[in-house]
Amino acid sequence: MEAFAKLSGEIQELVAEFSSAPVAGDLTFGLTQYSFWLLVAAVVLAVVMVLFVKKQTLVPHGFFVNGVEYLVEYVQNDVAKGVVGTEWRRHFPFLATIFFFILINNFIGLIPGMKPGTGAIGCTAALALVTFVYFIYFGCKKHGFIGYWKSLAPAGVAFPMNVFVWVIEVFSLLLRPITLAIRLFCNMFAGHIVMGSFSIMAALFAEPLLEHFSAMNALGALPSVAWLAILLVIYAVELIVAFVQAYVFTVLAAVYIQIAEAEGH
Amino acid sequence: MKHNVYVMGLAGVAAALALPRPAFAEEAAGGADILIPKMAEFIPALIAFLIILIVLAKMAWPQILATMEEREKRIADSLDEAEKTRQKAIADRKASDDIVTDARRQAAEIVLAARQDAEAERSRILAAAHAEAEDILAKAHTSAEEERRSIYADAAASIADLSVSVASKIVAKTLDEDGEQRRLIERYIEEAGSLNAD
Repeated sequence: MEAFAKLSGEIQELVAEFSSAPVAGDLTFGLTQYSFWLLVAAVVLAVVMVLFVKKQTLVPHGFFVNGVEYLVEYVQNDVAKGVVGTEWRRHFPFLATIFFFILINNFIGLIPGMKPGTGAIGCTAALALVTFVYFIYFGCKKHGFIGYWKSLAPAGVAFPMNVFVWVIEVFSLLLRPITLAIRLFCNMFAGHIVMGSFSIMAALFAEPLLEHFSAMNALGALPSVAWLAILLVIYAVELIVAFVQAYVFTVLAAVYIQIAEAEGH
Repeated sequence: MKHNVYVMGLAGVAAALALPRPAFAEEAAGGADILIPKMAEFIPALIAFLIILIVLAKMAWPQILATMEEREKRIADSLDEAEKTRQKAIADRKASDDIVTDARRQAAEIVLAARQDAEAERSRILAAAHAEAEDILAKAHTSAEEERRSIYADAAASIADLSVSVASKIVAKTLDEDGEQRRLIERYIEEAGSLNAD
């Protein structure tokens, strides 16, 4: 099987292609392929929102307006009202923006030839950091700076234990942005690596048949059909993952905001 | 054969997926490098997201929420209005039904009253007709009696004349028309008439 011999090299190339490479400047000051597509997604999001605001009427018409409204209502009811509660209105702009920002980035990455902005840890870390600062800010605003940090330790725990619990809680708090960033990044990165691997395999097995048509090559290319079928299934799964990851990030952000503003633990 | 190809293929994928780690580690000086944020990605993402967040929070989300809430309110109001209209329609229907029932009842009463009036009128007319007929009959009887009496009187006079004339001829003696014979005959006829009248 000649295809398997080539596979290792091809997949190494694929992974190398997935690691961040500057398209302008360098890795410190410049743009990588991920940040480029992230900016594209930001522009797409801006255009989508401008069009939506212009087209939104009291009686909604068409797939576009109804589709966007469905997602907005989803964030409004299931995330903002459902998780944050009575204070949902204040946090809705942040939650809706982060949901749509991640969603558009994830979907942009699913278009062949494009990359998801959320497929690089630098980009997801930026979103996680903003979320972290956001909920700490509202926690401090609600309880006062000292009050917020004190509220991390549960009330009603005896003296030596509450310090111990407080330290654990602070660690847990600091881990939140890291888990947010890594979860989103790994899901998008791994999904695209798997899709890339199956598309490479589909191409490698079909290659001899495309170069020279013979019965043997046709038989050898049969697995390509299976790889292609698996690729399509994974692609469908990735469409769901793109949505689910945007939802998970937003829900966790809402949960952290709700916890930060909650009256005591 | 085909099954073996799949198994080999999956094994190849597994091997290939396992392979990049050392390869990546070599070129990126450690596998964890992939988890280290690059400033070239972090800074643009941070700026882009913050700009989008501020712009949408100021210009899009409040308007979008306001439109959706306005719609929700309108729909709720319309449903309330529709319910009120429905209740009013039911009440109106009931009122109109009551009016129709009342009108029917009144119509029936009017018809009944008219029938009674007509019956009374008919009875009155009939009674009047009877009375008139009886009156006419009575008058006719009276008139006939008078006629009869008059005819009888005339006949009596004629018979008296005839009798006097016949008697005159028989006794060959002219009798005075105002004489004793004539009075006798008239008295006789009168008696005979009164007997006949009874």
